[in-house]
Formats: sequence, C-alpha cells, structure tokens
Amino acid sequence: MIAVKDKASYVFEAVRKKLNHIGDVILVGSGKGGVGKSMIASAIAITLSKQGHRTGLLDIDVHGPSIPNYLGLSPPLRSTEKGLEPKRLGRLGTMSIAFFAGDNPVPIRGVEKGDLIAHLMALTNWGELDYLVVDLPPGMGDEVLCAFSLFSTRCRLLLVTTPSKHASSVVSLMCKLAGRERIPLAGVVLNMSYMQSGRRRIYPLGRADRVRLEKAVGAKIIAEIPLDPRISEGLFQVILKKNNEFARAIRDLTGKLAEV
Amino acid sequence: MHELSIAQNVIDSVLSEAKKNDAKKVLVIEVSIGELMQLDKDAFVYSLSLLRRGPMLGAAKLEVKIEKAAFSCRKCSRSWSMDETLKQLQEVEKGLLIRESDGTELPLHFLPQLYPAFVHCPDCGSSDILLKDGQSVQITKLVVE
Repeated sequence: MIAVKDKASYVFEAVRKKLNHIGDVILVGSGKGGVGKSMIASAIAITLSKQGHRTGLLDIDVHGPSIPNYLGLSPPLRSTEKGLEPKRLGRLGTMSIAFFAGDNPVPIRGVEKGDLIAHLMALTNWGELDYLVVDLPPGMGDEVLCAFSLFSTRCRLLLVTTPSKHASSVVSLMCKLAGRERIPLAGVVLNMSYMQSGRRRIYPLGRADRVRLEKAVGAKIIAEIPLDPRISEGLFQVILKKNNEFARAIRDLTGKLAEV
Repeated sequence: MHELSIAQNVIDSVLSEAKKNDAKKVLVIEVSIGELMQLDKDAFVYSLSLLRRGPMLGAAKLEVKIEKAAFSCRKCSRSWSMDETLKQLQEVEKGLLIRESDGTELPLHFLPQLYPAFVHCPDCGSSDILLKDGQSVQITKLVVE
C-alpha cells in the first residue's frame, strides 16, 4: 500500500487540470465590504469578453453572492458530461454559489467554505479561457485564503478601494496579506472616486490624495472609476454598453489588465 | 452524468498518485462515496470500470462503499440520519434543481458542502448543524506494486 488519499487532494488535482486551460486569473478583492468589488469584477469580465477574450467569472462570495444580480442571471444550472455549465451572457461564462442555493442563506463554517469553493471550481466546465475573473468576498478569511491557494500559480490580485480612509486602511491589510502569500498585485482601483456632472467633477466621498492612498495601501492606483448612481438602479449593463465616463474608465482599466 | 465526471477525477488522482510513487501497476482502488451526494453507486462503479484501462489500471480491483451521513445540531444536540434529511430535501425549490440530459438532480448532488442551506434540525429548526461523515467522495485506499 502506498498512500491513503484525502478528499482535498482529489479536488486539488481536478482544479490543477482546469487551470491548465486558463491563461490568467484576476482576483478582485479588497478586504473591505461595500467598495464595489463585485461591480468592478463584473464590469471587467463583461468588457474582456466583449473585446473577444474568452472569459469566465467566478463568484466565491459564499454568504452574499451578488454577481448574479449585477448580470441578471438566475438558476437553474445545467450539467453535461463535461461538468456544470457556467451561465452564459454572450460569450462570458459565470458561476456562483447563488445558482445552487438561490434565496437560501448558506451558514457554513470554516474549512468547509474552502472545500466548497474548490469543488465549485473543479466541477465547472470552463473550457479554454484567456481570463478567469474571481470576485472575492469581504474579509481575509477562508474564501480568500482558499483562492490564494487554489490560484497561486497564475493569479494577480486587483485591489478595490474608495477615497474613504477607512476603506484604504483595510485594503492595506489585504495588500500585506497578498505579499506574505506571494500573490502578485495587478494594482489598485479607486472606485466611486468622483461623479461627472457635465464638465464638472464632484467628489461625494471626498477627494482622494493619490500619493497618500498609494502609500497607505502599498500599491499603485491604475484606475479611477466614477460613481454612477444609475448602477444601483439596475442599469449596469446598459451603462457599460454606452460611451460614457464610467464605461470609458472600465475599458481603460481592462486595457491595462490585458496589457500584461 | 455527474458520476462519470467524478469517476474521471478519481482515476486522474489515482494515476497522479501512482506516478508520484513510481508504481508499475495499481492493484486496489477503494473509494467511499458520501450518502448525502445521492450518487448512483452502480453508475459510479460502471464509470470507474470504463475508465480503468491500460497497463497501470487494467487489473485494479475496485471497491466502492457508501459512507453514511450523520447529522447533529450544534444548538440542541439532536442527532439524525439521512432518512429524516431526505424528507427535507423534497422541499428544495424546483427552480434550483440542476438539469441533466436524463432528469434533474439536487444541488447537494454536486456541492454537498451546501447542506446547511437545505437541511435544518428536525427539532429546533436551526441551520447551525454539523455533518460528521457522508458528504464527499474519497479515495480511502490505494494499493500498488
């Protein structure tokens, strides 16, 4: 007898196989809740797929998945001989815990969350992808550590913050954690940075001092995304399609991510 | 259908482990399947048999066991088995059932870790429950030469 294997090794083997068919994994995180991670992750994924990149979007927020709401996607899922089919929006494939649990709360603890995320990744038929965008939940607990561990061989972390000092102080902790776990940074997105009103810019959350913020967080700001109140009215995809300040900022950000 | 993809993952894992240990031949593959997943044991064994080919795996003896699920409530300490859970699972919304070519399956068939979303204590109703065993597929023994 040479080995007694455990469930983790069997799942990690399956995830490793999936990753062989994925070019680049972009983790979108913050540590802080309410800074717009899911919106940024969705916007990047939609824009990458519209630019012709084969793109997947994985929502690993176990307790409060919001990607399906942004994209207007809902259960049921379909399973084929190749695995669970991600929900399609054009050429973008999306997978979320919400497609399994629906409106039921998911009160699971500790290591079971990591196990759940690993299985979700392993069972999904992503096919060949240029990019997999992963929406991380708030905090630096099981889900985030699991993502760092699963994707460490080919991921970058895109940090999302707002001009608020409270947000940037938590984001700086996330930045430190990424450094310790040797996760490379793709940069910082300053979300809700301003509102455009004609030619005038308004700063509803205060004007960010970029130098101070970059110093506080410990990474470079690569994009400033305006606050557009229509996003919370459910017009997210419509706004993204049009030529406006928000859509341009997202395209600019996506271009920078795809350059690497 | 999910049985085939799990069987493929098990075989991949066995091959990887055998390679790591410089094995020439796998003699025994013992797998336990968690009761909560409600996998079709016959279909799973058949899938493993189909995938068990080549000089490394062709002669391997397959042993597949069902691991019973055992639930307990963290709040009131009540314990219960799969029979009581099955009644609760009949109440899962139809819109959440996952579609396959030959029917539908419960979400727990694919992600058994989600059990607290669908299972609750039969006495106090709490979702803060513990599943001791029976929620995963595990390779429990691998014998090679």
